[in-house]
Amino acid sequence: MRAVLLKTGATVLTFATTVTAAVYVTSHLKNPAAPLRPTVLSAPGSATFSAPGGSLTVGPSVQPSAVQPVTSTYAS
Amino acid sequence: MPHSLAVESHHFAALGTNCSLFAADRSRGDLLEGEIWIRRLGARLTRFSADSELSQLNAAAGGWFGIGEELEAVLRASLNAFEMSAGLVNIAVLPSMIAIGYTRPLSEGVSVATLDAARPLRALPDVLSVRRGAARVADGSALDLGGIAKGWMADRLCESLGPNALANVGGDLRAAGAGPDGKGWPVAVAGTTLMLRGQGAATSSVRRRRWGEAHHLIDPRSGLPARTGLEEVSVVAAGGFEAEIAAKTALLLGPELAPVYCAAHAFAWSLGAADDD
Repeated sequence: MRAVLLKTGATVLTFATTVTAAVYVTSHLKNPAAPLRPTVLSAPGSATFSAPGGSLTVGPSVQPSAVQPVTSTYAS
Repeated sequence: MPHSLAVESHHFAALGTNCSLFAADRSRGDLLEGEIWIRRLGARLTRFSADSELSQLNAAAGGWFGIGEELEAVLRASLNAFEMSAGLVNIAVLPSMIAIGYTRPLSEGVSVATLDAARPLRALPDVLSVRRGAARVADGSALDLGGIAKGWMADRLCESLGPNALANVGGDLRAAGAGPDGKGWPVAVAGTTLMLRGQGAATSSVRRRRWGEAHHLIDPRSGLPARTGLEEVSVVAAGGFEAEIAAKTALLLGPELAPVYCAAHAFAWSLGAADDD
């Protein structure tokens, strides 16, 4: 009698867990409206402007200046 | 208003390009030591000399070869670069370089191209193994460090020059500290001056080192010179090495994906398309 009760309890517990998990998963679908691109693309403070040979985008951690440069990056 | 610091500078030609060193509160002797370091390391890392450490490693392909601390560090950085770029930055590019005729410094001319011999590159971790004091290159593969070595050297050299310094190794540069006026180091990027503090910059381009229809930047997916719609990319990133990887990766990704990649990996970037002048 006790063994039957244990088996029945385990079966009920398993069934309940499965149903609960299924309900949770179906109610938490991946948000189809989630952005596919990094949000940094629209971060405030970045600016894009034309530059010789292309365009230059500058993020908020880099400051443009009118100071004469001491050196430059270039292809070698 | 902060006072301008005394900045020592030193310009010289090495590695087949131009280098510039700047440092606040350092002697000219310190900068000359930096030049000597670049020359010595460059001689060990070049593929154009059969006696270099890199060439000897390539010649020993198939077996383990003892290497120095610096080459070991550059090779480990190259494996990181492969991961950072999703495989687009791959130093196992030497067979393709030879296939396109880039067998010696371009000042000495190119060789006859054998494009049929070019193949897509194997994944770097499959052909390069590194352990303490030794490395192994797989049979049939060979390494060319290219710009990775320049970015890596700029970072190391800048560290050695003190807390307020700038090292520019052939266009790959690293700026540390607040610069001479406390506002950062003024660096020209795509014709615009940007103030860099604790950042690096690099440019990858197919507008130079090109001959006929060929150029030096290999797309590892084809083993042939890249044609992505971008011709030149300049990047400001966390360091010279990171900037070098980001610039090359963005150029190889092309005009559609490069802005997305740069937004995630760079602080500033310039994209020059094939039809831009």
